[in-house]
Amino acid sequence: MIQFINMHKSYGQHEVLKGINAEIKKGEVVCLIGPSGSGKSTMLRCVNGLEEYQKGEILVDENVVDANSKQIHAIRTKVSMVFQRFNLFPNRTALENVMEGPVHVLREDPKEVRERARALLTRVGLKEKMDFYPSSLSGGQQQRVAIARALAMRPDAILFDEPTSALDPEMVGEVLQVMKSLAEEKMTMIIVTHEIDFAREVADKVLFLDAGSILEEGPSNEILISPTHPRTQDFLRRVTHPI
Amino acid sequence: MYDFILRSQEYLPILASGLWLTVAVTFLALVLATFLGLLWALLRTSGIPILATPTKVFVEFIRGIPILVVLFYLYFVMPEIGIDLSAFQAGVIGLAITYSCYIGETFRAGINGVDKGQIEAGKSLGMKRPLLMRRVVLPQAFKIVIPPYANNLVMLLKDSSQVSVISVAELTMQGKMLSSTTFDNLTVFTLVALLYLCLTIPLNIVMGQVEKRMGASQ
Repeated sequence: MIQFINMHKSYGQHEVLKGINAEIKKGEVVCLIGPSGSGKSTMLRCVNGLEEYQKGEILVDENVVDANSKQIHAIRTKVSMVFQRFNLFPNRTALENVMEGPVHVLREDPKEVRERARALLTRVGLKEKMDFYPSSLSGGQQQRVAIARALAMRPDAILFDEPTSALDPEMVGEVLQVMKSLAEEKMTMIIVTHEIDFAREVADKVLFLDAGSILEEGPSNEILISPTHPRTQDFLRRVTHPI
Repeated sequence: MYDFILRSQEYLPILASGLWLTVAVTFLALVLATFLGLLWALLRTSGIPILATPTKVFVEFIRGIPILVVLFYLYFVMPEIGIDLSAFQAGVIGLAITYSCYIGETFRAGINGVDKGQIEAGKSLGMKRPLLMRRVVLPQAFKIVIPPYANNLVMLLKDSSQVSVISVAELTMQGKMLSSTTFDNLTVFTLVALLYLCLTIPLNIVMGQVEKRMGASQ
């Protein structure tokens, strides 16, 4: 469904992605792991054109992603995104945040969207918080609203950019639970994460990035339990046993 | 003191006609300047060089010229190229053009002050630029902009006194004429100052309230 074909990305002289090749099939959950600065988030942000790339191609359902083309808007309605810092609209309630895309971008019937938004917020455990503004929600609650907002677009895939990195440790679980339930329903997801246990349990495939290249990739239980590359072994040891 | 009140009763009706003109000039200039300022800000933040660059040059140009010179230009130079403006029209247009540049810069700062994450969130919902501006950026920029906008409004009100130089008989002009016939400078200019304060102080209070209410909504 999403393909990277020898994709290169640089900021000026500095090349941050050096020929990425990868394929994410429909219904697959793929986790991108690796050290900070390895290019995971950048790779993700190229998929919906929040970042431009210079060489190679990214295909979403056979359409080439080009941040400057007119098609990019259509691609974005099909590939939703969840951000590290939630990025909910602060001047709108949880419910209004979830309704925003379907009503104003897809121009769907507000009444119908409202019902769907209510159902989605209920699903992520926020039935009681629908009319709250983001500022009166906890980080974990805000991120669950953000996931509901992404789902409201009825996307073909969702991109998660370190969805739990900005959360208090005790709120990580509630967000991962929601993501896990999506995985069980075969939602196509690309997840940049440092949650190794989550990746091991939920991901179909793991890509390990280092310094702008995919060093290793494969089924999560292979890569995360018995990695072959010394850099991957070292990274996993540091992440899972920090002391 | 008694004397002051007695003479005030005599002068106030005359000054009131100037006050009315001051309000009219300020209000019309404000509406025009706000509209143009928003336009400048949108053009400058459009990311399209052919729109952004001329706007930038124009704004920097006007900001570098004193209001008085702009007014003289409109009132005395324009007729030479066949555009006749009344003193009132030239005054309103001069103030509006000058202040549209100040207000435009304020709006631009507000637009640029909106969190980049908000723009990314809007984009990733598939919003095109006009929708993104209308639904995400402008409502949040508006909030940022209220205090400096209110400041601009008060400055505009005070600067409306400048149009007296092209013979618009607003409050300051009326005061000057009145003092030159009565020689009662103290009473006249004290009244003029008080009348300006009658406008600016309530304005500041109202804007303070608006700001507080906008802050509370989040």
